[in-house]
Amino acid sequence: MIRLYHVVKSYGEHDALHDVSLTIDKGEFVYVTGPSGAGKSTLLKLLYGAERPTSGKLLVGGVDVAAIPQHRLPQLRRNVGIVFQDFKLLPRRTVGANVALALEVVGAPAEQIRRRVPAVLNIVGLKEREDSLAGELSGGEQQRVAIARAIVNDPAVLFADEPTGNLDGGMAVEVMEILQAINLRGTTVLVATHDQGLMDRFPHRRVRFVGGRLVQTSARARA
Amino acid sequence: MKSTVWRTVRAVREHTYLAVVSTGVITAALVLVGMFAMVTTNVRLVLGSWERDVHVSAYLRPGGSADAHTAVMQMLQSRPEVAAVKYVSEAEARAWMVERTPELAPVLDELGGDALPASLEITLRDGHTTPEALAAFVGSIREVGSFDDVDYGQEWVTRVDTFLSVLSALGVALGSFIGIAALFLVANTIHLVVYARRDELEIMRLVGATDRYILAPFVLEGAAQGAAAATLANALLWAAHRGLLSRLQEVLALALGGEGLRYLPWWGVGAMYAAGMVLGVGASWGAVRRFLGRLP
Ligand SMILES: Nc1ncnc2c1ncn2[C@@H]1O[C@H](COP(=O)(O)OP(=O)(O)OP(=O)(O)O)[C@@H](O)[C@H]1O
Ligand SMILES: [Mg+2]
Repeated sequence: MIRLYHVVKSYGEHDALHDVSLTIDKGEFVYVTGPSGAGKSTLLKLLYGAERPTSGKLLVGGVDVAAIPQHRLPQLRRNVGIVFQDFKLLPRRTVGANVALALEVVGAPAEQIRRRVPAVLNIVGLKEREDSLAGELSGGEQQRVAIARAIVNDPAVLFADEPTGNLDGGMAVEVMEILQAINLRGTTVLVATHDQGLMDRFPHRRVRFVGGRLVQTSARARA
Repeated sequence: MKSTVWRTVRAVREHTYLAVVSTGVITAALVLVGMFAMVTTNVRLVLGSWERDVHVSAYLRPGGSADAHTAVMQMLQSRPEVAAVKYVSEAEARAWMVERTPELAPVLDELGGDALPASLEITLRDGHTTPEALAAFVGSIREVGSFDDVDYGQEWVTRVDTFLSVLSALGVALGSFIGIAALFLVANTIHLVVYARRDELEIMRLVGATDRYILAPFVLEGAAQGAAAATLANALLWAAHRGLLSRLQEVLALALGGEGLRYLPWWGVGAMYAAGMVLGVGASWGAVRRFLGRLP
């Protein structure tokens, strides 16, 4: 599903990622971990095309993301789901409208939007909140809306950068359970985090970075 | 697919305040430029009437026959520069002079019938009243030999001409300044308006919207705001025009010779709409493109 060959990402003199080679299979759940500044976010940004590697090759679902032309980027974004620490919702639109946005931009017919939005909200346990304003929800609920938006187009892979970073215990657990459920439906999931407690509670393969170097990668493991 | 129109209406409803600010600023820019254009148009009309007032008096040599006069008049009329030729007889010249200065009547009587010669009053077509053209024209008719003297208020013509070129240069400078100021005002405001919606742009990008899809409603909104602003600006300018007209009636009648203060010509109104829409679309397009260029 995801393959990196000798990927380097430099910002000026500084290597945010240094010669990283890594393979992640379809359907895996992988934690990208390491201390602050290790390069976790940089790795995800390279994978969803927000940054280009300085050298090396990256394949996501067979597509060479490093070489993808700018005008083909929307195509890539429609095939991956992205979740951030700060949710990135439109607070003055309803929960339903926030999720529908991802369908609107791909030109989905209205009928499909009406059917699909409640269905994914059901997966994240927010079916009843479809007409609430996104900004009026709790942090945990907002993150679940963001996840619903990320999966509404049935992406092959979901990238989550510190998805529980802004959430306290109970809400973080709920979000992890949802991500796990999505993974069980076949979606490859990459979660960047340094929350040791959550990784222990939901054990999966970990790839650990320190100072831009891949220092450790555990075998595929399932709870 | 949600149509562009639908998405534009949604954007205006979600960001009514921003839409009002953008429209207001485009309106202000158009009023500024439109006011300048209106003043310029009217000043030009006044000055144009001064220039048009230029005419050449060719004093006929006494004793010429009526046939000879007719022949000269026909010759003049056939020239491309000449708009009209009017024969002023000795009696008419005297009557005109006496009407203006009644005290002169006894003096003229004393001097006898041919104190004031008959003349041809030649009016020239627009575009032939520059000092150079006038001098050339007058030179050429002097050579005809039927005239004692040819007189065209040379100093006046030169002075008006200089004044007009200075004024026109000032107008171009001031107009460009106002135009550029208006452009900056609109571009910067709309940049801020788009900045206020940057989260929306970023999210659209993340979920896979193409730039064209993101831009379309901004472009449509810009066009609508431009048209609305042009309508508003015309209403304001028209109100200002009426207000000035009623308040300055007498002064204006004097200066403009009864023609009154003019509003912008129809193509000026059209140009306001075009400018408003180009401003609205251009500024939105530019601002959104700039943000999209920086987004991941
Ligand atoms: N746009 C950028 N310009 C310059 N340096 C950058 C940029 N983005 C990241 N870096 C640097 O690259 C390194 C890795 O950053 P990155 O954000 O990937 O770390 P991280 O592992 O996600 O850290 P955190 O846990 O704090 O989120 C850091 O040293 C950071 O300063
Ligand atoms: Mg990070």
